[in-house]
Amino acid sequence: MSELRHVFTCLAIGVPWLAAILVAILRRQERVIGFIAALISVAISALLLDTAPAHQPLSVALMLLYSCLTLLAILVLPKRDCDADTVTGVLFLLGATLLAYASEDLRVLLAAWFLTASPFFIGRFFRAETWRPRMALAASCIVTATAVILIAAQGGGMSIDRLQGRSPGGMAVFALLVVAVVLRKGIFPAHAWVADAAEGGPLIPSALLLNGHFGAFLVARVIVPLFPDVTRNLFPVLSYLALATALYVAIRALAENSPRRLLAFIALSQSACILIGLESRTPEGVTGAVVHWFVVAVATMGLFGILRLLEVRFGENLTAGRHLGLGEHAPRLAVFFVLFGLALVGLPGTLSFCSQDLLIHGTLISHPQTGVLLPVAIAMNAVSMFRLFTRLFLGKRRTGFTAMVDALPRERWILTAGALFVVLGGLFPNAIVRLGSTGTGEARTASSVETVRPVRSQ
Amino acid sequence: MDFFQATLAFVVLAPGAMFVSVALAWMLGWSPGERIISRITGVTFSASVLGVAALILKLGWTHAPVKVAFGNWFTVVDYHFPLVLVADRLSLPFLALTVILSGLIGQFSATYLHRERGFLRFFLLLHLFAFGSLLAFAAGSFDLLVAGWELVGITSVLLIAFFQQRGAPVENGLRVFAVYRATDIGLLVSVFAMHHWAGTASLAEGLPYLSGNQTAAICLLLLLAAAGKAAQVPFSGWLPRAMEGPTPSSAIFYGAISIHAGAYLLLRIQPLLAQSATASTAVIAIGVMTAIHGALAGRASADAKTSLAYASLSQVGVIFAEIGLGWKWFAVAHLLGHATVRTLQFLRAPSMLHDYHQMHSAMGGELATDQRAEELLPEALQLWLYRWALDRGHLDTILDRFVIGPLIRLSEFLAKLDNLGMAQPVTRRQTAPLSMRTPADERGR
Repeated sequence: MSELRHVFTCLAIGVPWLAAILVAILRRQERVIGFIAALISVAISALLLDTAPAHQPLSVALMLLYSCLTLLAILVLPKRDCDADTVTGVLFLLGATLLAYASEDLRVLLAAWFLTASPFFIGRFFRAETWRPRMALAASCIVTATAVILIAAQGGGMSIDRLQGRSPGGMAVFALLVVAVVLRKGIFPAHAWVADAAEGGPLIPSALLLNGHFGAFLVARVIVPLFPDVTRNLFPVLSYLALATALYVAIRALAENSPRRLLAFIALSQSACILIGLESRTPEGVTGAVVHWFVVAVATMGLFGILRLLEVRFGENLTAGRHLGLGEHAPRLAVFFVLFGLALVGLPGTLSFCSQDLLIHGTLISHPQTGVLLPVAIAMNAVSMFRLFTRLFLGKRRTGFTAMVDALPRERWILTAGALFVVLGGLFPNAIVRLGSTGTGEARTASSVETVRPVRSQ
Repeated sequence: MDFFQATLAFVVLAPGAMFVSVALAWMLGWSPGERIISRITGVTFSASVLGVAALILKLGWTHAPVKVAFGNWFTVVDYHFPLVLVADRLSLPFLALTVILSGLIGQFSATYLHRERGFLRFFLLLHLFAFGSLLAFAAGSFDLLVAGWELVGITSVLLIAFFQQRGAPVENGLRVFAVYRATDIGLLVSVFAMHHWAGTASLAEGLPYLSGNQTAAICLLLLLAAAGKAAQVPFSGWLPRAMEGPTPSSAIFYGAISIHAGAYLLLRIQPLLAQSATASTAVIAIGVMTAIHGALAGRASADAKTSLAYASLSQVGVIFAEIGLGWKWFAVAHLLGHATVRTLQFLRAPSMLHDYHQMHSAMGGELATDQRAEELLPEALQLWLYRWALDRGHLDTILDRFVIGPLIRLSEFLAKLDNLGMAQPVTRRQTAPLSMRTPADERGR
């Protein structure tokens, strides 16, 4: 059974890479090949999740999530963007990310870390026009590599499972890994590259890069299990930095008028909450973080996709500085946008309402001050999100161009699937919540916070 | 589940089910006509009224509240989100008010919004609002109350921005949304604090046991949320802005249900309020200040809807003071009477103006007005009060100057900080939209 799982995992990773090579050679039928490859990854990941052992459903669930995100990206990619280079890069990114999620060895994880960053250095793929994204990604790769080399120098093996609880490399390696998280996740003070990547790079691939959430993955998969003693004392620093990021970029978004930047800030602020939840070391906080991970990934992917569709239809000079009235032209895109947007910031009935409930509750147990400030950041994000929606879609009907189509069938179906995920997930959250609570069991128990729980009053 | 439990579940869930099914049908391409929509609304709320009547009879007969437990929405170790609905002496009057007024507003709007472009959107939001309100009023726990509370807020905002072609309603909707979200922090934090301190946020099993300081903190946080939703001082500035929405939605939101949701929240925690002198005093002070503010600002309002909104605000202020004084059932009676009369006034306002103008013409001049009480004051004070009332107590100005302005300036400062060391702000290469592309552009690709 185990060998069969390995074969399936290799297939899930290998198929997108083979498809990427095929697209690079053929340079036609890009969307069809990309769609089939991503669909195969989705199917295999679903199969793997169904038979996942009790200790690792999170990694497999993330594989399924990322395959679905890639499928969404490929279907939403506008015709203008759907060229051979883009689809090759997206499929390569899918394979590399799945490799990271499936890795049980630090060397493989490091290789995947490099591979996922590589398309963003190459001009023909997704290289941003400014230096900050490249610098942050390169620095995170170097720091992670140094940490892995230091662990290797200890000579205790490189298997993540075997190193659990042994604090390999001690404080130095722990510090390096935390720096890697800060750089890769865009945590304050290394947050600026995220908005630069969204603003100056290709939008949908940048969204895929951000939604890999490698920083959070490193925390859940490596830092917490490997360094339980150190995390108990020093990990709150990362939590405070994440809180600072959530608040900083939430304030930063209030006066931002570039839709791409604004969306990147909201996504970053909301995804910083994942780290806060993981660090809370309470069952509620950790589960909330995992569930939030899923919501943020799907909602931001949908939002970035819709924004790109709007740019292609109505011009890339969209602004949140005035009302554009695009809702009259594209009512279904408007409905999808507001649904994903409000789902991202905790609309009741969506999955993020559950995730934020758990996140804040868990955080309040471990760090009351963080638990109190988190709703402030979320409230500011909600205001910025609603402002972006009103500026893009409401207001006087924009004239000056010929009639434009609303969401095309392929866009509509995949966006509906995403919307159903966040809504049905919100109405019936137990399956995902259970996944979150079992998937991170090891991370939580490794360094769980000691709290005195109140006796339920009668 | 017995008959009455099923009835309670039906009353709360029916508008939500209508919203989901009609919205989904629209997304799949079906556009129902006005007649179908108004009939669906009529049938839904008529059945709900019958259901509430049955629940009232049951409560009157047995004196036992009806509780429906659907289990837990989600559970993590020993933390769970209970899905419990309760129809007791306090929630039933609010449930009755909601279903009766929603049904009436639905029937009124079928004519009032005839051939309006957003007809379907209005009715969808009306159903969602009714669902949110019923959920908040029948919630058996504060957790569930938050869900209903937030739904009421978002539907309120979307209806303020109903006339989306104009910029002002949209901007006002955004402003109201910001106030709601800011004050809802109080509700959220108080609920989590209840879980943290007492291990429960249940309403169905009685209020949680808390120490003196904890009670005061929880009550003050809930007062923040209640004051935001009920437009109490210092958050009253959003109320005149909310009048941009269609008259039927103004009637049900700001004459009846939404504006009284804050009072309902305080009524729910009245036993806790009674334990905290600080919180009770704060509730009375806010109520009295709002009552005076509403009375003064309303007198300087130029349009009928805003005058009514301020009159409504003034009454809600008085209701707050009554709750703070511990006159719970008096406040409930006041609230129900006020909500009913104010809804009628809001709905009558457009035709009343028409009638007034007709009468004005028939009289051949200005209609006689009564002497005003403020004329008894010294002229300088009259002038000062007039300016104060005209600027609506300077509440929006204060909010702009001391909260919004500094936040925006901080945001702009952070933007400069982020771009420090960058030669120029990051921009991207822009291409023309598909509709504006020329053959030359296409060749350029």
